[in-house]
Amino acid sequence: MKPLKLLGMFIIPMGLIIAAVPQNKTNPYKLTAEELLAEANTRNQFVTADVVADMIIKKDPALRLIDVRSQEEFEKFSLPGAINIPAANLLSAEYTDILNQDIKMNVLYSNGTLASNEAWMITRQLGYENNYVLEGGLNYWFDAILNPQKPASTNPDEEFAKYDFRKSAGQALGGGGLAAQPAPDNAAPSARPAVKPAAKKKKAAGGC
Amino acid sequence: MGPLAPNELISENTNFLFAFLIGIAFGFVLESSGFSSSRKLAGIFYGYDAVVLKVFFTGAITCMLGLLFMGLFGWIDLDMIYINPTYLTSAIVGGVVMGAGFIMGGFCPGTSFCGAAIGKIDAMVFIGGLFLGVYGFAFTYGWWEKLYLAKYLGEPKISQSLGLSDGFFGLILILIALAMFMVAEWAEKKFAREAY
Amino acid sequence: MSKEIRSTKYLNPYVGGVLLGLVLLSANFIAGRGLGASGAVKSVVATSIRAVHKEAAGTMPFMAEYAESHSGNPMKSWLVFEMLGVLVGGFISGALAGRLKLKVEHSPKITSRRRLIFALAGGVLFGFGSQLGRGCTSGSALSGMAVLSLGGFITMMAIFGTAFALAFFFRKNWI
Repeated sequence: MKPLKLLGMFIIPMGLIIAAVPQNKTNPYKLTAEELLAEANTRNQFVTADVVADMIIKKDPALRLIDVRSQEEFEKFSLPGAINIPAANLLSAEYTDILNQDIKMNVLYSNGTLASNEAWMITRQLGYENNYVLEGGLNYWFDAILNPQKPASTNPDEEFAKYDFRKSAGQALGGGGLAAQPAPDNAAPSARPAVKPAAKKKKAAGGC
Repeated sequence: MGPLAPNELISENTNFLFAFLIGIAFGFVLESSGFSSSRKLAGIFYGYDAVVLKVFFTGAITCMLGLLFMGLFGWIDLDMIYINPTYLTSAIVGGVVMGAGFIMGGFCPGTSFCGAAIGKIDAMVFIGGLFLGVYGFAFTYGWWEKLYLAKYLGEPKISQSLGLSDGFFGLILILIALAMFMVAEWAEKKFAREAY
Repeated sequence: MSKEIRSTKYLNPYVGGVLLGLVLLSANFIAGRGLGASGAVKSVVATSIRAVHKEAAGTMPFMAEYAESHSGNPMKSWLVFEMLGVLVGGFISGALAGRLKLKVEHSPKITSRRRLIFALAGGVLFGFGSQLGRGCTSGSALSGMAVLSLGGFITMMAIFGTAFALAFFFRKNWI
């Protein structure tokens, strides 16, 4: 048969198929269930309240606090500089650029750790990096930072240093008059996690 | 998951090796289809030989279908494929100049290399002209710089600008190409020339 | 003479087209980019300018722009390797088909000299145009079409449109 007819017989059906089938948008960075479980078990996604308080006081530009509670709760009280991404709308398109990036360190928080950890798992499963969970949430924050317990006199020095830090931090963050001092060296909170740059999708260089 | 080089599944040197091998295949196919002959190449403009149209569009469509299907099966990440940028003014002006060069010289750079490889002197002269042209552009670049950089539209796809999906545009392209092939075959019979 | 040429067996153009498409597809799959040709010429030009007059290469804006995107030896570019392959592939194909012959191909109605003059002029125009248009028929038009690039499509229309429009004036050279 004429070559043209043969060609047509092949490519028209292929064209029809490709026109009909919706485009496949595979995201190559999704984690498998095993990978996610392993990561969750290391508990590396948690950052302590001390670290976050320190970053707030030092005005660390990398920090971005994300409140995953509902809007009313957010408006009643929120941490300084926090933005509100209610957990129910976590996957909405407007937040993708906030959650999927490699410039800032997102710290998700809620009243406890349940909601924030859940939000973390969802973003992690999508392959997003640089999202963390505030350990203990706001409940612990209130107790530890805003109302720190004075350690018993028999406790080691670093406990006292931590207490001093938390006291001044609490007052600074709670709006008290005292100027906050950054955490002294011997009670320096564990170094905050470094922001991991995203594996940039490298486009091939082309040319004429 | 392709493409291999941008995903760093093969090294840069392996990529260059493949470039060489792909070039061999490219040259072989071009020459076997008759693209080493300037008279065949110019034939589409006078109707007597539509080889350029047929090979060109069949090739583009085959590759396009291949990419779309591979994307569908998840074998390739289409976001990483190089898409030619669109600089509206220079695309048109450059194209016009090239069109003039094509009808005068009867070659384009790729086919001229094929022709030169089999001994066509006019192809070799054409290549010489290519070098002169590129030198000329490089040395007079200042005069054209504004034109060259004008109207940058990013890297839009045709389907995007028409508001169609890639697959649907592909289908339209296929139908248009097949129609052109039918016209071309009619023209080839009507304007047939003696052997060349 | 005419018998010899008539007996030249070229591939069926549709078969050739499918094969070409597969070659282009493999280039996209392996290197993430399409084919090209004029870029290789640009690489050689860039290298020669750099070799002859290093400072000039630095001050020429076109060459500087090229150097930015091609660190290292400009000859070590994908297209240069590809075009070397094209020479080899074309040669092999021609050899297998018995088409190897040193000659000037031209319409019997004109002289060789006329053909060569036009080949040179055409080459100059095409070389110039390919830089302006950021690609030639292989790179911009063919590869561009395959990935649905708007710029590639526009350049292709401009090339073929202009050639068709001017065909009448050069018809004596071909038919």
